[in-house]
Amino acid sequence: MKDAIEFKVSARFALFTDPITKIGGEKSTYHLPTYEALKGIAKSVYWKPTFVWVIDRVRVVRRIRTQSKSMKPLEYGGGNTLAIYTYLADVEYQVAAHFKWNPFREDLQEDRDTDKHWHVAQRMVEKGGRQDVFLGARECQGYVEPCVFGEGTGHYDDAGELAYGLMFHGFDYPDETGTNELHSRFWKPVMTDGIVTFPRPEDCTVRRFVREMIPNPPSSVGLQEEGLLK
Amino acid sequence: MSWLDNLCRTYENNSEHVGDRNDDIPLLPLFHSLQNAQVDVVLDGDGNFLRAAVVSKDDARTIIPATEESAGRSGGKIAPHALCDTLQYVAGDYLRWGGNPRKEKNESGFEDYIAGLDGWVTWSRDQQLRSVLTYLRKGLLISDLVEFKVLWASGEKLAERTKDSSKPYPIFKAVSGNNQATAFVRFSVEIPGDPQSHLWLSPRLRDSWRDYYRTSRSDSYGVCMVTGKTSRLAHNHPKFIRYPGDGAKLVSSNDSAGFTYRGKFTDAREACGIGVDITHKAHNALRWLIARQGYRDGDQAIVAWAISGANVPDPCADTFALLFGGDQDPIPTDSGYTAQEVGHALSTRIAGYSATLNNTDSVSVIGLDSATPGRMAIRYYRDLTASELLRRVQSWHEECSWLQRFGKDRVFVGAPAPRDIAEAAFGSRLDGNLRKATVERLLPCIVDGAPIPSDLVDSCVNRAANRNGIKPNSSECWEWEKSLGIACALFRYTHKERGYAMALNRERNSRDYLYGRLLALAEHLERRALSYGDEKRATNAEKLTQRFSDRPYATWLLLETALTPYCVRLSTKSPGFLYGVKREMDSVMDLFITDEFTCDRRLTGEFLLGYHCQRADLRSKPTKDDDDSDPNDDE
Repeated sequence: MKDAIEFKVSARFALFTDPITKIGGEKSTYHLPTYEALKGIAKSVYWKPTFVWVIDRVRVVRRIRTQSKSMKPLEYGGGNTLAIYTYLADVEYQVAAHFKWNPFREDLQEDRDTDKHWHVAQRMVEKGGRQDVFLGARECQGYVEPCVFGEGTGHYDDAGELAYGLMFHGFDYPDETGTNELHSRFWKPVMTDGIVTFPRPEDCTVRRFVREMIPNPPSSVGLQEEGLLK
Repeated sequence: MSWLDNLCRTYENNSEHVGDRNDDIPLLPLFHSLQNAQVDVVLDGDGNFLRAAVVSKDDARTIIPATEESAGRSGGKIAPHALCDTLQYVAGDYLRWGGNPRKEKNESGFEDYIAGLDGWVTWSRDQQLRSVLTYLRKGLLISDLVEFKVLWASGEKLAERTKDSSKPYPIFKAVSGNNQATAFVRFSVEIPGDPQSHLWLSPRLRDSWRDYYRTSRSDSYGVCMVTGKTSRLAHNHPKFIRYPGDGAKLVSSNDSAGFTYRGKFTDAREACGIGVDITHKAHNALRWLIARQGYRDGDQAIVAWAISGANVPDPCADTFALLFGGDQDPIPTDSGYTAQEVGHALSTRIAGYSATLNNTDSVSVIGLDSATPGRMAIRYYRDLTASELLRRVQSWHEECSWLQRFGKDRVFVGAPAPRDIAEAAFGSRLDGNLRKATVERLLPCIVDGAPIPSDLVDSCVNRAANRNGIKPNSSECWEWEKSLGIACALFRYTHKERGYAMALNRERNSRDYLYGRLLALAEHLERRALSYGDEKRATNAEKLTQRFSDRPYATWLLLETALTPYCVRLSTKSPGFLYGVKREMDSVMDLFITDEFTCDRRLTGEFLLGYHCQRADLRSKPTKDDDDSDPNDDE
């Protein structure tokens, strides 16, 4: 079935914040992009509430290098504090993703047209996406281009296996799980020759309950909307 | 692997070092802290006071059981340690003797302390602990100490420091300021048959406290974001990481003022949770590693370590320090200490490391710094295999090496340290921030084998070419020699493919190299001529180096003309020498491709290499005696 897209995303900086360093304010990046960040990029390229993006694989093309910068983050009460953020510098990733229908949006059943969404997604990849693309943090603007996954040479092509310990995978948002709870998921990535193959969100074994969250999707009646087809 | 996980494993792999008193900062047992004690109180098994003494400064460091709150207490917050603490907490008669005079609410913390200790005693049923509790409950500690002449009272109050030098009160030497009430007390309990009377050295009590503290905490359980397992989560994370008194924390979760996690999360515990054992182990290990083998410059700390605990080379050391630990006798400059010998010494050293490290052992490098006093950031983190690190460190020291003259006692062939490179590149413009940033930029060059940022190389080269106004044999001259060596090393590293040798290459006919040689020859000739006239001034070649690097051809014409009177002087005094230099100059000229000589294009850093090699070559020749000079045998 035609539901998969492949794209290349590159940026001067990326900040996939390690949650341990986030709460203090001295953000420091993971060396790999998280599933959630890539999903966000896919959503910036093209998204409808009808479906959910699933990230299959990512390929790290350039050498992983970091750069730290001094920052002046804002405070609630005005003014600012000082901090040091550590970014990934000069990144390029190849991403393979596909979409699946969101079973919790039955009101959008009429919109479940694989061929339509796939074609729109293809066009949007070619255009560089519908919305601003950023890698992990808003200040890290990135650029999306079409690509063939695995094509070209990468820095880690013969690097073998590299393990990264426990890492954040993504959030279980209530609108995609159907429960009124927010969970965060973790997994232990292994990069093989530059390629990280993500497990499906439901296959992640380490889950952390965050808090209750009640989904509030906008109600839509699709084509049944009064007066629409007249 | 994540950094916390790696640090935690390091702690576990090095558990035999826990509490080792040989270490400057010992690897602390779990839930313990390090304090300087001033008073040692000795009790018997039944809680009776035997004696007390002021602790000498060398013996003051004491590992004490602490709670998360007490280890992080500050200001006027009442948070007692578990066993050893200041008089404010441990003495029941603290207020009676005039403690805490400035506080509005006159409180001592004694009740909190006793309640805490009581809990531990009840749980552990330890006789030594019980003895301490029984004694302290009497509330007579300060009275006993005064009676035993450890503390000094005037009337009903503890005395201020007295100016009367006929009475040397040792306690005033130990406590900070004038206040005896800040004295920190530790306990010994002598029970016949028990060899360990010093409670702060007892491994049994350390384990007992760890186990008791784990069970006593009212814990929140949750998924630890380092291990992924459900465990007791930490409320607080340790501080004092880079040095005693360092208030910055790596993980802090008390932020309610900045835009860090609000929105998706409502409080910090939702955003992050780390197991209490994990964070304590990791922080203890980090503290220990930084004190033991780290590089520290103000708030910046960089440390490389092997998870297994084996030694790894310090990436921030220069070759001299790496090979000889920096404290070896200086190498005699003229013994012909060559690059080959260094190469050999380096391989031996690296082989020494690889003998204790497995190739696949994990090695990590972490760089820390802080922008504010309260928080610390990870500026750099890498983890790689031991063989990778050793290979890169070795190739850095081999490929970025040059003859370095860092001072009379520090002449070596090898790579400069990042800190020295920063100084060479920026000179007097270098402030703390720039130095730290530069060191951090150089770290990937060593650890990852990345190319050196070209602005640093250019800056070093430009500074080395600018030597106007430097008097021979002054301290500035050493500084300039140092920056010359560093510039050559960096240029050589940046152009590895050109294969520059450290010895003079008489075949190389690239323009910049030859011009460098010419400059050295002109300088040499003039210097010799000046020495006959007993003149100490700088030579024209030295004065014009900067201009020479910008417009070599035009400047060379000037230099050559200016050499004429010196040649005349030398032709009578030392014709053999003059002949030798002239011949060398001619051979350099011969190597030039004509167009390249007359072209006035700016010289690259390569000219420094030519200059340095030629100069070293001239210097290494035995100085000819002036009298027996004969043009024919002077070569």
